[in-house]
Amino acid sequence: MSIGAAVTMILITGVVWGGFVALLLRAIRREARKRDHERR
Amino acid sequence: MSRSAELFGSRWGLVLATLGMAVGTGNIWRFPRIAATNGGGSFLVAWVVFLLLWSVPLMIVEFSFGKRARKGVIGAFVAHGGPGMAWMGAWAALCASAIGAYYAVVSGWCLRYLAAAVTGGLRGEGAGEALWRSFNSTPAAMITQVLALGICVSVVWFGVRGIERVAKVLIPTLFVLVVVLALRAVTLPGAVKGLEFLFTIDWQLLAEPTIWLQALTQNAWDTGAGWGLIVTYAIYMRMREDVSLNAFLIGFGNNSVSLLAGIMVLCTVFAINPQAQSEIVGAGNEGLTFIWMPALFDAMPGGGFFMVLFFLALSFAAITSLISMLELATRVLIDLGLRRKPALLGFAAVALLAGVPSALKLEVFQNQDWVWGVGLMVSGLFFAIAAARYGLERLRTEVVNGDGCDLPIGRWWVVLVGIVVPIEAVVLIVWWLVAAYRDDPANWLAPFDTYNVGTVLWQWAAALLVLGLANRWLARRTLKEAGR
Repeated sequence: MSIGAAVTMILITGVVWGGFVALLLRAIRREARKRDHERR
Repeated sequence: MSRSAELFGSRWGLVLATLGMAVGTGNIWRFPRIAATNGGGSFLVAWVVFLLLWSVPLMIVEFSFGKRARKGVIGAFVAHGGPGMAWMGAWAALCASAIGAYYAVVSGWCLRYLAAAVTGGLRGEGAGEALWRSFNSTPAAMITQVLALGICVSVVWFGVRGIERVAKVLIPTLFVLVVVLALRAVTLPGAVKGLEFLFTIDWQLLAEPTIWLQALTQNAWDTGAGWGLIVTYAIYMRMREDVSLNAFLIGFGNNSVSLLAGIMVLCTVFAINPQAQSEIVGAGNEGLTFIWMPALFDAMPGGGFFMVLFFLALSFAAITSLISMLELATRVLIDLGLRRKPALLGFAAVALLAGVPSALKLEVFQNQDWVWGVGLMVSGLFFAIAAARYGLERLRTEVVNGDGCDLPIGRWWVVLVGIVVPIEAVVLIVWWLVAAYRDDPANWLAPFDTYNVGTVLWQWAAALLVLGLANRWLARRTLKEAGR
């Protein structure tokens, strides 16, 4: 695989999959905080 | 149970159901083909840009409409744009319902191929093509259409809790299946050529408008933004539920599945039959999925097993999307005064009858896909207009950044929905219609062609005439039911 294609692959998968995982983690954290708040 | 008590049990129920709506066959059978025929890496750059410039902004509008109005798509338009805009909501409902009618046929095809993959009916040279020729456009396709509709009716019958329960099983399983298939594909000898093809950027192609328009179209069709389906699920959000983070999550989750599907299909093609790659990706959605994929899996070590996984993933994607289309129409009928079960059964019967011509004739299916697919872009435009009428800044501060917000949204969203999305929608509609005119200038206005401009304009005109005449009744009925 060419270096250009490898770099594009890392960037595109990083933005799409990395973005999805980062958003999911944020949602999990926010949801946990909301639950804690509701319990109190 | 009262209508207001019908809510998703948790945020994850909402997110999974909405992902189920967004992830459909288009992610698996259209995205890899369009990416491959539009410059691979160059297309991907444009596709990521339009996720942020079309899909996510419209998803935020839809979540806000559903959360604030707590009504189906017609009621949401009335609540935000006024009674004069009921026809616009009805247009969105009509497009999604018309797509639902032929999508039941597509879901039936997926189920038939899943059954054939399980029983070994797709093994051997030309088995996929032979099944396609003997099954497609025959009464047998009606039987699987009924089966697909029956499965979805049995889920929507139980309301949002039924949808949530099914989504919690099917969507995580679908993700796992697509990951397993992509991992299998990238570990095939020669698969790296597929990765190289998919991720090589031709910078000159980025100056081609077609690449950008195809990327925008793919986002418009496969994320479900602007269809009214998210409005429908957002009705059942809890009161202190977030809007913007969920919209981003679904947009990125949907496109993550598309990217996995692209890797899976292109690596498989380049590893098994690289000489035929142009022919395979140029074979159309049905040709790629039902003729070429079985042939490619058949030539792969352990292919029988992975073929089952592929058609299982495709069936799950189709069924969860069809469920959302049934729920959209059911909810609109509930808003007009019907109870859930008669509304659901009534719509399912109409969808069944409306889908029969698509089941029996491929050209009818292709015509309906063309007419209402472009109609969805009009739907997206209508959502932007209704949101602007309500006040984008007001919607942003009151609803998007209001109670339960997990990701405050800046004024950039107002600019995107108020200016960029309408421009994108108009450019897309004009581009598709001009392309259709250029394909057949002599018959451009003929009403019964499969793909021309005339078939779009005549069917749209008939629909708009009926919806325009029914506008006052639709608005009055929706408001009356909301007041009860």
